Amino acid sequence: MSTWLKSAAQVVFLIAFSWLMNLIMEICHLNIPGSIVGIVVLFVLLQTKVVKLEWIDLGAKWLLAEMLLFFIPSAVGIVQYKDLMLASGLRILVVVVVSILVVMAATGLMAENLAKAKETNAS
Amino acid sequence: MILPAVCLVLTIAIYGFVKRFYKKYPKIYFTPLVVTPAILVLLLVWTNIPYNTYDAGAHWVTDMIGPATIVLAVPIYKNLPILKKHAFVIVSSVLFGSTIAIVTTAWIAKALNLDARLIESLAPRSATTPIAMAVSKITGGIPTITAVIVLLTGVLGIVLGPLVIRFFGIRNDVARGVLFGTGAHAAGTSKAFEFGSAAGSISSIAMILTAFFTFMTVSLVIGFFI
Repeated sequence: MSTWLKSAAQVVFLIAFSWLMNLIMEICHLNIPGSIVGIVVLFVLLQTKVVKLEWIDLGAKWLLAEMLLFFIPSAVGIVQYKDLMLASGLRILVVVVVSILVVMAATGLMAENLAKAKETNAS
Repeated sequence: MILPAVCLVLTIAIYGFVKRFYKKYPKIYFTPLVVTPAILVLLLVWTNIPYNTYDAGAHWVTDMIGPATIVLAVPIYKNLPILKKHAFVIVSSVLFGSTIAIVTTAWIAKALNLDARLIESLAPRSATTPIAMAVSKITGGIPTITAVIVLLTGVLGIVLGPLVIRFFGIRNDVARGVLFGTGAHAAGTSKAFEFGSAAGSISSIAMILTAFFTFMTVSLVIGFFI
């Protein structure tokens, strides 16, 4: 089987798996997205060797590489909120930009310093 | 029937073209997640096609977010030793960062006089789309607006992340990973993979933890601001 066909078959399998996760969450009336539970379930299946890595590796690689494509229609969804964006868009932008900068700097610096402290302790 | 199908094909085709262009000219302002939606928005406005018609075709692309999120289990599985080794640093930084995300978002939004429903829609913006929309619904926000703001966070996170890394000289893979995963969820994670497989899988874990912490804490934090 060519690599391309293998990837496609694996992607189809992963779509079915994702669909099944959503279905289970719906039947159980749980307010947790199936995709988040799906990460945990797939991880456990890999860890216990029920699912072998080579069954999904190519498909996973493709899905992760094209991740950004899947967000594009939601981004285009901004056209529905023209009035809101004209009235509050600039303020929303300020909120998001400032908050991202603070969050990234705080998280990154904390991890960098904790990791450094750990290294000095170890040596 | 034909128009939604055309929209679907156009979304994929324009993305493919922009992605190839970005590979050749890797400038921040050519980021596919910025340029592709911009072109599509202009097309929709110019041709007067309503978003519902567009989404009737394009939602097939959106539906792939589910499986694409689930397969984050694969890099986590492959990089388990690194993740285990840095578990403490990752968990404490993400807890710190995701709390700051909710607090600063609600606080700045409040200071800028945005109304309560908008603050509720903004607050969970650091979590990945499905979680953020669920949280927004629970706290009284508008889930579809949250989806757009989560996306905006992703786009801006991809652009701002490398600047923060350069400005503060952040060299550690763990630090780079948590920075992207906490600050810009799945979009940031895809950027983190450009810094290497380790940074990418740490970002995946950070993204999942952020979603989890956001789910637990947003309603608590929002109570202080509204």
